[in-house]
Amino acid sequence: MKVACIEKRGTLGGTCLNVGCIPSKSLLNNSHLYHQILHDSKHRGIEVGEVKLNLENFMKAKETAVTGLTKGVEFLLKKNGAEYIKGTGSFINENEIKVQLNDGGESVLRGKNILIATGSEATPFPGLQIDEKRVITSTGAIALQKVPETMTVIGGGIIGLEMASVWSRLGTKVTVVEFLGQIGGPGMDTEISKATQRILKKQGIEFKLNTKVVSGDTTSELVKLDIDAAKGGKPESIDSEVVLVAIGRRPYTQGLGLENIGLELDERGRVIIDSEYRTKIPHIRCIGDVTFGPMLAHKAEEEAVAVVEYIAKGHGHVNYGCIPSVMYTHPEVAWVGQSEQDLKSQNIPYKIGTFPFSANSRAKTNLDTDGLVKILADPETDRLLGAHIVGPGAGEMIAEATLALEYGASSEDIARTCHAHPTLSEAFKEAAMATYAKAIHF
Amino acid sequence: MASFAAACRISARLASGRAARGFTTSSRCLAAQNFVMPALSPTMTEGNIASWKVKEGDSFSAGDVLLEIETDKATMDVEAQEDGVVMKIFSQDGSKGVQVGTRIAVLAEAGDDISALELPADEQPKQAAQSTSEPAAPAPREEPKAASKPAAKSEVAASGTYDHSYPLLPSVGLLVHEHGISKEDLSKIKGTGPNGRLLKGDVLAFVGAIDAERPAAVSSRLSKLAHLDLSNIKVAEKKAAPAPKAPEAAASKATEAAPKPEKVLVQLPVSLEHVEELQRRLQNSADVSVPIAKFVSKATAFANSRLPAIPRAPTTSELFDEVLGLDKAKATKFSQGSYVPTIADDFAAPRRTSASKTDIIDLLTGPARKSSSSPTRRPAPRIDARAAPGGTHLFGVLVPKEEKARAQLFLERFKLALEEVPETLI
Repeated sequence: MKVACIEKRGTLGGTCLNVGCIPSKSLLNNSHLYHQILHDSKHRGIEVGEVKLNLENFMKAKETAVTGLTKGVEFLLKKNGAEYIKGTGSFINENEIKVQLNDGGESVLRGKNILIATGSEATPFPGLQIDEKRVITSTGAIALQKVPETMTVIGGGIIGLEMASVWSRLGTKVTVVEFLGQIGGPGMDTEISKATQRILKKQGIEFKLNTKVVSGDTTSELVKLDIDAAKGGKPESIDSEVVLVAIGRRPYTQGLGLENIGLELDERGRVIIDSEYRTKIPHIRCIGDVTFGPMLAHKAEEEAVAVVEYIAKGHGHVNYGCIPSVMYTHPEVAWVGQSEQDLKSQNIPYKIGTFPFSANSRAKTNLDTDGLVKILADPETDRLLGAHIVGPGAGEMIAEATLALEYGASSEDIARTCHAHPTLSEAFKEAAMATYAKAIHF
Repeated sequence: MASFAAACRISARLASGRAARGFTTSSRCLAAQNFVMPALSPTMTEGNIASWKVKEGDSFSAGDVLLEIETDKATMDVEAQEDGVVMKIFSQDGSKGVQVGTRIAVLAEAGDDISALELPADEQPKQAAQSTSEPAAPAPREEPKAASKPAAKSEVAASGTYDHSYPLLPSVGLLVHEHGISKEDLSKIKGTGPNGRLLKGDVLAFVGAIDAERPAAVSSRLSKLAHLDLSNIKVAEKKAAPAPKAPEAAASKATEAAPKPEKVLVQLPVSLEHVEELQRRLQNSADVSVPIAKFVSKATAFANSRLPAIPRAPTTSELFDEVLGLDKAKATKFSQGSYVPTIADDFAAPRRTSASKTDIIDLLTGPARKSSSSPTRRPAPRIDARAAPGGTHLFGVLVPKEEKARAQLFLERFKLALEEVPETLI
């Protein structure tokens, strides 16, 4: 196939690479180091002199990572013979796309197959004007120029909690206001969510759950938010230097000219597709955040491969029951498959096995024992239904659970697979043991 | 009609493929197998036997029609999947309302001496009872939907030989060892894992430790989760959309709003004296006729190039660049304009709407093109006719308010080109 990729940002990689997953992980990793040097070195026998944060260089480290990776993607496009067009594309008709080039001028591309992968943008909070300095989205939160004294995060989902962690570690007093009764979003297992909240609270982040933000006022020096506890609490207001709006993301189709080809969106603004990612105009397909399913880079990536396979070979495959989610706080939270509340609400019988990291040799050695592994399996066949981890290295460990789930393994299969000693992944093995029989070391 | 019937037959053959497997497979009863009422469609629960095409004692080979079944939708042939002999028929021609899964015959393998074989026990009475008195049945709690139920059942009931991939899962290997399951028996267990992989539950069901249908039920539930849920898609209402701010709605609002904002007319008198003079010079010296329209369009192009960018609210990514301090490096300070000047000498109606406006290019190129074969100066007189004294014309552009300064600059450059340096335009 002859392929052209239209991108208006000026650098490749989309939200994830430029203003999402990648830069935030740089900040999370380095802020964790900073925090550890400050607060977690003395009792390890390491005495450190004066520790100072150089936010400018801190941000530079992030930019180096981002630049390296975006250039890498550009190189890969070149290497694989895909044309990279810098500009804003919009549909003229079903086959032609007008590109407003970033360097000025215009060109028109004709495509036999057209793939919409325009992604998503942060959902704004009604009544609060985003200026990315005082009222920010995740985009501004990875580029603050000074460490604010106080920060209020609207939305205790994954993005909100990651950013809350970064700035809390750097010294900001962070308050998270969440409308739901649990943090981490509705997909996180409730038990894991509670455990995570306890741990993050210990780290100094304050939580206000079941609370909604009624209105915001940016006129005075501090941004003022009026909040209202959903269940019988009394209204109060919070003043903070910076307000992070992290209430979710919405599909981005602005300026795409969908109206020119009569493509409809659903009520949440997503492009409507069928199971083969076709829109109602079959040669125009759509994947990623701009259509259905979880808004995750790795989900979009799977879909991208599948959609090209559909075009080239007529079949493709994504297993939506087997897409892991990871929150990169410390400790990390990761899960795959169904949560306990999912199963409960559908009246599906299950059995549980858990294992705490406080009983894991490696975690104890590292003095990093917060968290647990929780495994859910079918009570009769023992087939794995879900795995939920909060603990050090959860994001890496979830790969094992995903593989097990993809292959239809039972908890016994995991438990009978040799795990190296001493590793954190032994906790996963022990939790599997606890699911079908009994953990040895707890 | 004929083609519809044919289509029915084809689908019947496909559907029966799975259901009819039952008779080739019940290895637990040696050579003679129960043949049950097949489910010919996912929703079929019972059927009538129109007529048997074979009699007791008849041999048949794969592909032969065994019987004709009537459902509420169509009459379909059931074909044999393998060679065999009809040992006994339980439900005769004309039997009505036979539940799916009820034994209707016993078949033996090809070449068997049927007089020497024992009739196998009816494996289905429980199931038949279950389907007649459904609520009382101890069905698993999360019983799969009707659509997948018959299929799941027949898969469990079926136990042909399956080629399992080795090594077996650790749990499966252990169970095989514990229960002394021979390799031969193992190959009779149908795997319910991805790609038919043999799972712990399958072996547990085989040895009777758990409900036989459980593995398939779990499997079918998980396979549903494997797909995007595309049910209940609610199409956004056009424009009206009150609560959800669909980007589309926002975009259409923007285009709607575009004509509304105040537009201002920016005007500047431009003298065409030099142009006309140059035109005459060219005509006289080189005998080349260059229409004034050419000068005007060249001057327009010149003036449009590298205009300052239109002031507008910065996008989020621009804000981000600004935050990073990248705006200076990246920002495009200049952009290509797209102004077309109009002659607005007609002071009586200076606020002509864009619909009725004729711009200078229309005005000039029209006649010029028509008369392009004979070099005349017809366009010029037309300008002269409306000209103010001294060959000065009032050129103007109608622009949104915020573009006023940009348009002003455009006109100044336009004027400069035509008045001072018309030579450079050629």
